[in-house]
Amino acid sequence: MSIDFYWRLPTHGCHNSLHTSGYERGDWSPLKPGNIAPGLGRDGEPDGFTYIDHLTEIAKAAESVGFLGGLIPSFPNTDDPWVIAPLLARETRSFRFMIAFQPGFGNPVHTARMAASLQRATGGRLLFNIITGGGGPAQLWWGDSFAHDDRYGRTSEFLDIFRGVWDSPNVSYDGRFYQLRGGGLPPLLRREEFPEIWFSGSSDAALRTSARHADYYLSWLEPFDQLGDKFARVKERTAALGREQKCAVRVDLVARATEEEAWRDIRIGFENVSEETRQRWRGQPTDSVGASRQAALRPTDARRYDELIVAPNLWGGFNLLRGGPALGIVGSYEQCAARLADLIARGADAFILAGTPHLEEAWRIGEEVLPLLGRQARTLLAAAE
Amino acid sequence: MTLNIHWRLDPAAEPLRSEPGTEHALPAFIRDRRATSRNRFDYYVQVARAVAQTAFDGLFVRHRSEADESRIIAAIVARETPRLLVVPEFPASVGSAVYAAKQAATFQRATHGRLGWAIAAEENAASREAEADFVPDEDLRQRLDEFLTVARGVHRDRPFTFQGRHFEVLDGGFEAPLNQHRFPKLFLQGEDDGALALSARHADVHLFAPGPVDVLAERIATLNTLTAVEGRQVAAGLIQPLLVREDRDGAENDVQHLPLASGTLVASYDEAADQLAAYAAAGVTELLLEAVPTLEEAYRVGQHLLPRLRARTGAARKAA
Repeated sequence: MSIDFYWRLPTHGCHNSLHTSGYERGDWSPLKPGNIAPGLGRDGEPDGFTYIDHLTEIAKAAESVGFLGGLIPSFPNTDDPWVIAPLLARETRSFRFMIAFQPGFGNPVHTARMAASLQRATGGRLLFNIITGGGGPAQLWWGDSFAHDDRYGRTSEFLDIFRGVWDSPNVSYDGRFYQLRGGGLPPLLRREEFPEIWFSGSSDAALRTSARHADYYLSWLEPFDQLGDKFARVKERTAALGREQKCAVRVDLVARATEEEAWRDIRIGFENVSEETRQRWRGQPTDSVGASRQAALRPTDARRYDELIVAPNLWGGFNLLRGGPALGIVGSYEQCAARLADLIARGADAFILAGTPHLEEAWRIGEEVLPLLGRQARTLLAAAE
Repeated sequence: MTLNIHWRLDPAAEPLRSEPGTEHALPAFIRDRRATSRNRFDYYVQVARAVAQTAFDGLFVRHRSEADESRIIAAIVARETPRLLVVPEFPASVGSAVYAAKQAATFQRATHGRLGWAIAAEENAASREAEADFVPDEDLRQRLDEFLTVARGVHRDRPFTFQGRHFEVLDGGFEAPLNQHRFPKLFLQGEDDGALALSARHADVHLFAPGPVDVLAERIATLNTLTAVEGRQVAAGLIQPLLVREDRDGAENDVQHLPLASGTLVASYDEAADQLAAYAAAGVTELLLEAVPTLEEAYRVGQHLLPRLRARTGAARKAA
C-alpha cells in the first residue's frame, strides 16, 4: 500500500510567515517594499513578476521534495485553477494539478474537452477536487441559484456525462439537469487517462454522491476519532455499492525542530490577530455541513492560543491565521509525523498538506517530516510482526 | 488608425505534428532520440513563438470540437510567448459567464493583460445537442447577449446583480486584485444586422468574413451607425484565409494541391498587400490571417507579406 502526499497552491496570495496577516506574496494586500511577485523595483514600480511566478516556485519546490502535486483551491476572490494548471504545465515535470471545481459552472462536454486537453498537455497530471456544497450568498455570487441537495443531483449528472463522453464517442443522456444527444470526445482526447476524482462535502447528499462517483473522499481535519468514524462510514457506504473509495485529509502543519518552537510560532501568530480578522470570520453564513462541524470550535472567541488546543498537537485556530479550516497539526517534526501516522491508522490513504509560507514549508515538511513518517511506519510494521 | 495583424491557429490542422503515436516515424537505421515526453502542445507553442518572432500582434486559437480546447492552448502558449495578444475562440455554451470571466481575470493577471476573447459562431442544433446544449436557435443571440452582459458586469461592477433568462447573479462582482486588468479584448462575428447590433453593444472588434471591398465598406458603415447609437466604438476586423506566393503563377499553381476555405485570397505578396491595404483604407483595423501549414505559412506571411502591408498602410497614414 502506498500513501499519496499532495501540497497546496495558495490561490489567494501567501503570507511571509504565520506571524503576520498581510499577504506579502502576490497582490492581495497593498504592495510595499519586500513584497514578492510582484516585487517593487528601485523606483517603487512593480518589477514585472506576477503571482503566477511565485506559484511556479511553490509547484517546483513541492515536486522536487517529493509531493505528487498540489490542490489548487477556488473561491470568489482567488485566482482560477483551470488557468493556473495550464500556465504551470510546462514549468513542471511530474507535479499533478488538482483542480478544485464546482461542476455546475461548466458545460459537462466542454469541461471534459478541457480536462482531456490538459491531460494531453501534461502527460496525465490532472485530477479534480469536486466541490458541490458551499452555498449561501456565495453560490449566487457565482451565478448559481440551485438549492443544496439539487446541486448534488446536478453534480452526479455532470459526472455521468463527463465520464460518459470520455468512455464513448456516442452518448445520449436524459437527466433532470442535463441532456445530451450523440456526444463524445474525439479519439485523441478519449485515449487519455480519466482523471482521479476527489470529492468533498460532509452532508448525506455529499456522501451519497461521493460513494457513487469519487475515487477519494476528501475531508478537512477533524478530531481524530470523529474523522476515523467518518472514513469508516464512507468506506462502508462505497463498499455497499460494490465500489472502492479511498479517504484523504487536507491539513495544515506547523512543524518545527522542537514542539516549543512550533507553539511559539502559533502563539505569536495568535497574538497578532486583529479584531477585524476575528470579526470577519465570526459567524460566517453557509449551509455547508463540513464548515459547521468546525465552527463548533469558535476560535474567534478565544482569548489565549492554548484555549484552542483540542488534543495533543491539535490546534483549532488556524482560520484566524490564514483562510481555510480551523483545525491543524502543531509540533516537532517527530510529533507531526506521528500524528500523520495516526491518521493513516484511522483510514487516511492520502493527504493534502500545507504550511505557511507555502514555498519554504514545502521544503521543510518534505525534508523533515515525510522521511520520519517513513521510519515510523516501518517501526509500526516491525512491531506488528 | 493602427492596423493590428493576427495569425489564426487551427488546432485540428496538421494533426500528425507532434502527436505522440501518430507522428512521422523514422527508418529504423536512423538513431531517434526524441524525448518521450513531447506532445501536441510542443507544436502549438512552436507556432505561437513563430507568430511572435515574425511580428504579428496576436494569435487566435480556433474552437474545434474535435481537437484540444482553445482556452487551455491559449494559457499554455501565452506562458511561452512574451508579447502576443492571445485570443481563444470558444462558444457561449461553455457554462457560467461568471466563471468564464473569473478565468479571464487570472489569465490577464498572469500575462500582463494579453488575453482576448473570440466568441465562436453557433453550430447547428444537432452539433449543439452533442455538446449538451439545448438552447433553441431563436434564443442563441439572447443567450450570448446575457453571457457578455454578465461577464463584463462582474468584471466592472461590485455589487453586480442580474436576472436574465439564461444567467442570474446576486450581489456579485470581482474585488481587487481580480478586477485590476481590463476585460479581454472582445471579438464577435456574424454577417447579419442582428450580429452587428450585438457587436455594437458588446464587442471591441467585429470580425467580418472575406468579400469585395465595397461590400465590406457598406457593412462597416452599418456597424458604425449602430455603435454610434450605443455611444460606443467598435473596430472592424476581417478574417482572411490566404494562399500567397512570390508571384501569382506560383500561388495559382499551388491552388491545385490545397482545398481552400471560401474567400481565400490567392495572390502574389505584392497583390495581397495591395488588397489588404485596400481593406484597411475601407476601415478595417484588425486583420485575422490564416493559412496552412500553420507554422510555415506564419513565417512566409510574417516575412514577406506583413512588411509590404505595413509599408503601404504606414505610407497611407503619413499621407493622411
